[in-house]
This record gives sequence, C-alpha cells and structure tokens, in this order.
Amino acid sequence: MSQIETFYEVMRSQGITRRSFMKYCSLTAAALGLGPAFVPKIAHAMETKPRTPVIWVHGLECTCCSESFIRSAHPLAKDVVLSMISLDYDDTLMAAAGHQAEAALEDTIQKYKGNYILAVEGNPPLNEDGMFCIVGGKPFVEQLRHAAKDAKAIISWGACASYGCVQAAKPNPTQATPVHKVITDKPIIKVPGCPPIAEVMTGVITYMLTFDRLPELDRQGRPKMFYSQRIHDKCYRRPHFDAGQFVEAWDDENAKKGYCLYKMGCKGPTTYNACSTVRWNEGVSFPIQSGHGCIGCSEDGFWDQGAFYDRVTDLTQFGVEANADQIGMAAAGVVGGGIALHAAVSALKSAQKKTQDKPASEEV
Amino acid sequence: MSERQLLVGPFNRVEGDLEIRLEVADGRVSAAYANSPLFRGFEMMLTGRDPRDALTITPRICGICSISQSAAAALALADASGAEMPEQGALAASLLHGVENLADHVTHFALFFMPDMARPAYAGRPWHARAVAEFTAQQGSVARALVEARARLFHIVGLLGGKWPHTLAIQPAGVTRTPDARDKVRIQTTLRAFRRVLEQQMFGAPLEEFVALETVAALDGWDRGAAGLFLEIAADLGLAAMGRGTGRYLSAGAYPMPEGRATRAGVWDAGEVRPFDPSEVVEDLSHAWMLGGAAHPSQGVTEPDEDMRDGAYSWCKAPRLDGRTVEVGALARQVVDGHPLALALATEAGVRARIAGRLLEIARTQIWLEDWAARLDPSARFMGTWEVPKDGAGVGLVEAARGTLGHWLSIGKGTIAGYQIVAPTTWNFSPRDADGVPGPVEAALVGAPVGAEETTPLSVQHIVRSFDPCMVCTVH
Repeated sequence: MSQIETFYEVMRSQGITRRSFMKYCSLTAAALGLGPAFVPKIAHAMETKPRTPVIWVHGLECTCCSESFIRSAHPLAKDVVLSMISLDYDDTLMAAAGHQAEAALEDTIQKYKGNYILAVEGNPPLNEDGMFCIVGGKPFVEQLRHAAKDAKAIISWGACASYGCVQAAKPNPTQATPVHKVITDKPIIKVPGCPPIAEVMTGVITYMLTFDRLPELDRQGRPKMFYSQRIHDKCYRRPHFDAGQFVEAWDDENAKKGYCLYKMGCKGPTTYNACSTVRWNEGVSFPIQSGHGCIGCSEDGFWDQGAFYDRVTDLTQFGVEANADQIGMAAAGVVGGGIALHAAVSALKSAQKKTQDKPASEEV
Repeated sequence: MSERQLLVGPFNRVEGDLEIRLEVADGRVSAAYANSPLFRGFEMMLTGRDPRDALTITPRICGICSISQSAAAALALADASGAEMPEQGALAASLLHGVENLADHVTHFALFFMPDMARPAYAGRPWHARAVAEFTAQQGSVARALVEARARLFHIVGLLGGKWPHTLAIQPAGVTRTPDARDKVRIQTTLRAFRRVLEQQMFGAPLEEFVALETVAALDGWDRGAAGLFLEIAADLGLAAMGRGTGRYLSAGAYPMPEGRATRAGVWDAGEVRPFDPSEVVEDLSHAWMLGGAAHPSQGVTEPDEDMRDGAYSWCKAPRLDGRTVEVGALARQVVDGHPLALALATEAGVRARIAGRLLEIARTQIWLEDWAARLDPSARFMGTWEVPKDGAGVGLVEAARGTLGHWLSIGKGTIAGYQIVAPTTWNFSPRDADGVPGPVEAALVGAPVGAEETTPLSVQHIVRSFDPCMVCTVH
C-alpha cells in the first residue's frame, strides 16, 4: 500500500492554519464529551497517524443524510471531515462526473485496500436482481458488495442503511434491505435517524478518523455516546408529561402552552436519539419543540408501527416520574424486541460493555 | 457523416441517479433518452395506510424538497376533508416552504451548476480563474459563503418546523407551532442576514435592482456579483441558445395564501396564458417500465414492470398536459406570473433563461419571505380543526423549487385507497409518450454540441443541470 499522509498534512494542504487545527481538536474533544486534557492527545494522533480514507456511496435513498451532514454546527469540523472525504469518493458531493467518478471509486478501493471506511447512505433493493437502483449501469447492491469487501469498517448512515426506512414500508415493493443484512462480515456502525442529526454524524466520523477505532456501540450497533438516552429522558416538555398535562388536539390551548405531545402520538418515550439534547439545524430546535410529536425515526421499523398519529400505547395511567421507565419498557415491547433489549441496557451496562468492546477492538 | 452512441451518467451533484443515452451525429446530439434508474414505490406503500401518514411518508421521497412534498400532502388532505388553514397558518406554511425553495435555488447555483464552469476544460477562458476561485466544488469562496448562509437560513425552518430535512409541522388545517414574538424577531434577523449574503455574493447589488430588470439587454448589462459572472460565462459559451425548451410553461401558482396564491397559476404557450386545468393531466406509460394504460393521476396506478420490457427505458412515467409536454420550474413560474424579464426570456428558453429565471426567483422569494415574516401575528390562530373523512378524494398542487408538484389522493373506508404523485422532474425528465414525443429534457438536448473526444459532453452537463433535476422525486 502506498504511503498515506497524516490528517495534519491533509489539513495543511487544504489551507487550514495551525490555529484552526488546534480549534478543531478542541471541538472534537468537546463533541465527543472528552475533557481538555484530550486535546493534545488528539492533536498528536492527527499529526502522526496516517489519515483514514473514507468512501461514501449512495443507494436507494433521498439524500437527506448528506443534506443534514453539510449543515453541521461546527463548520470547521465539517470542512475538515469533508475535505478528507472529498479526497476519496462521494458521488453526490464530489467534483468529478460520470465515468471519471467511477474510476475514482475504483482507484480509491485499490489504493487503500483494507484500510478505508465505507460510509453508506441509503440501502440496496434486492428485488429483480437489484434493478430498482442502478448506479453506473450496475445494481447498487453490486457496488456495495464490491466496496465493502476491502473496507475496514462500515458506517450505515441514517434509517435507510441501518434499518430500511420508509422505502422498506409494506409492501416493500423493491425489497429495500438494510446494509447489515447484505454485508455480514464487517463491523457496522449504525447511525440511524431520518436523517441523523448533523452533529451526530460528524461526531461519529470524527471519532473514528481521530482514534482509528469504532465508538462504543449498543446492542443494536448504535454509538452509545449519542443513542443511549430516549428523547423523552431529556425532553423539555417532560415536566408536563409527569404532571399529566397533555395536548389533546392540534388547535387546543394546551398546544399553545407547550404541553406534552404524548397523546398526539409522540414516540419520544420509545426513541433513542439525541434530538432533545443536541437538537437540529445548529441547535435551534427539534420536532417536539415545533409542536409535533416525535415519530421515532431512529428506531427500527418506525415506518410500520401503525399510524404515526396513534398513541404509542394506552399508557395514560403512568403519569409520574417513578413509572416513566415502565412506559418506556412496555412501549418498547410494542415497537420491537430489539428495543426491549435496549431498554434493559442500564442494568446490564457493564456486562454488555465487555461484549461490545471485544469484537470492536479485534476487527478494527 | 459520423454517428455514435454515448451513455452519460451517473450524474453526480444531482439528487438521485440519472443516466442519459445520446445518439450523436456529426458532432451534435440527434436523440436523447433519459433514464431514471431509481424506483422505490412510495405510491404502493401509501395504499391502505391512515391518510394522515402521507404527511410523514411523502416528505421522505426527497431529502432536498421534503417540505414541498409535505405541503402537497397537506393540501390534498385539506381538499379531501374540507380543512382550511387560518390566515396565519397559511403564512407560516408559506414561510417554511419559501425558505426551502430559496435554499434549493441557491444550492443549485452554487453547488450543482456553477462548479462545472471551474472544470479544467475551460482553462484559458477569460472568466475561468474567477470561476475556479469562487465555485470549485467544496472550496470556491462564493460557494462556501452561500452554503454557510443557507445553513443559517434553515434556522427559520428549525424555529417553525423543528427540523429540516423532513419537517412535520405543516398540517391540513395549519401548522403545529405558534411562533412567539421572539421567534418572529429571530426569523426577521435571519432573513436580514441572508439578504446581506445574497446582495454581497450573488447579485452585488440590492435585490430590488435585479427584480426591476425588464429586458434581455438589461440582463446582459448586469455585471455585478456571481450573477454577473454567470452572465459573462453565458455570453461566452452561448448558453442562451443551448438546450432550448419547447417554450410551453406550466405553473400551479406558488404559496397558497388566504388572498390567493403568491404567483399566478396557468399555462403559457406562445405568448398566451390560459388557465391550468388539472383534469388535463394524463400520465402515459408507453415508454416506462410500468404496467397499465395512460390515465389521469386520480385513476392512476403504480405497478412496476419487473420484466423491464424492451421499448421502455425508464421508471419515470410520462405526464402530459392536454397531450403535450410542458416545462416546469422557476422560469416557468416567473413566465406564467408575468414578470417582464421572464417574459423576455420565455422564447429564448435555453440554459441561460433557466438560470436567469432562478436568479430572478431567488431575489423575489427573499422579498416575499421578508413580507410574510413581518405579517406574522403571534397572538393569532395558526391551526384549525379537521377530521379525516371516511371516503373522499383530494388533490394538492404546489410549486416546489423545481416546478409543479401534484398529489392525487383518494380515501376509502378511512384509509388511503389511491395515491399518485407527479413531481416537477417527472414533467421535465419524462420519457417518450405513445406518439414518440420526447420529454422536455430529451427534446432540449437535441442539437447540443459534442466534441469528438468527449464522453461526458459539457454541453449536456449544462443543459441537464439547467433543469435542476431531482431524480429521487421523479419516480419516487
């Protein structure tokens, strides 16, 4: 394999100053919840380690993940990450076109064999030999398998790649299939959400590029640093839930007062994501703040759980803090087995951590 | 006489995938076939669901025009149920939608269209160095400034809609969020900041000056900002004559408000404007891998032909208005609305006219948004009541950034019985119909110059991108 430059060299060649570089290291540490003591460590790693190449491919999708990503709150982090990605391959954002672009993909795979991260947006449809999503004359599923073969690890961006998303909704006409059901021999990090929050995307990819390892994952393969709490746990309308104050209709007084949206079908109690803490569009807001319930877009199968405006389950008797977790547990049972497992995470945290760390450190 | 075939694609820097087969004779395109190679089957998934689910499912057709889809779904449901938005609700919905459309136009200019001008193939042109400095993909100074400003503009959608993409706030009877006085100030501040960027980077002058242009000669004389750079390039490369369309334009009228739509609805054909009658829309399936016959969207079905039969070449249906192709988009909207500059460009109808139409609409949309934000009244009602009917039908027509978007919905026994979507790029990138008449882009490509060595002809890139294709919406 040819000599790969370090992160720092890449940044310098992109015209990023030393000062900005140090700022980036601080931002990275902050975004990942690490203390200031980590800043020099991150800087040292980026100065000495060869950068990790990234290939970003698109299957059956709506491009909302890319749209979210380029709207990250930390322009510097986004620029750095983008500049590193753009050196390699991304067919939506890159400058080259057509066959040139296809050649660039092949070059990148060959040049960085076994050493690159494959970021997948969207998923492959398997019906009719994959003919519902053709990229460069071939079914996307072939491109995916080909690019995955020599990847070090895979990031499944968004609900499509992680779980299937709305395009896999009944009757799933194209048999849209999540990445982990097609690629079974590589470590896969799921970053679900429709789309995922920009800061979550940059946080995950920055962590992987900086530390050259997978972030700690939960049982479903999601990074714990962003997916270990329910929207409900940190929702600013939570006091209204606990007090039994609910919106009953879109136009009622309670809606104007900002009461809890649980009765309007909010899926916050069963949804693991960082919306209520990190928020959206550079920290401005999130769906519940706009008066509309959470639809649970980062959960497996959210698109086929009955109507979006139906209540999670009939749980009005639980109105107080002490039983909130039961709500989560009981409702999780409705949403799916995987989440029920997840709801038990806090109790099993230490035991699970071991099982999670092991495969991750072995495979990378 | 030399003849050859070219397969151009995938096109990057467009939403979704696109492949175009070209027949080239004597250095010019003699026939073009546009293939939309991505099918997901949203219309099939919607059937049998709670009608309200359309508000959540249809925006996910597309990550770049998701509010357009959500607005069309809300209007279709409103039409079926008789729901009406309070005045302030309509205002907030238009603000949400307008921000997305404005952002889409800016994205198209900065990220999808202009970076082609920075290509090495144009080295040596007098404007090339500036195009490289300002619009090289991901690095150009103007491109970066506009993309950053665009992210900040979306704070408005954050405030009113919680998140973007895939905003949920627009409902058939209004919007879920009542902005407070502080929100109103923040929206106005955000808009002021965006205007500054537009005036500094895009136009190099007050927006009102660009909106006041009335003739092609006046447009030719515009030499300020990135718009000036574009016009210099357009003159040098002959973009005015490149990719000429049919000159028939459709608009359903943008932004439904209590006082009527902000732009006129209609069909412009050879200088005449006639009313747009949605019952004249028919989707032809003769060259699409779809089963069934030509039908009005209210009667249409979506059944993919899994054999992908010979003769057909796209997943895209071919919508026709009264049997004919029409072009949709910013230029079409401005022409139908009767703006003097757009009317002056209506028969020019090429790459330059489409981009100039978009620039004009960028300026006008910013001005509208400022007006609507000023009219927000936090003490008023933003949401009314509505109920899903057990049976019924409705149509929702809106203007997305790329043109006319229609949702045709029928409800039976309380669930969705049928749902058909005709998106802007379905109109523009449609395949041939039963009479063999090519779709608007296919027709516009005929005559495009192709260099002997070229495999991805630059002229084809410019023409295709001048329509701002959104391929994920096209087939859905």
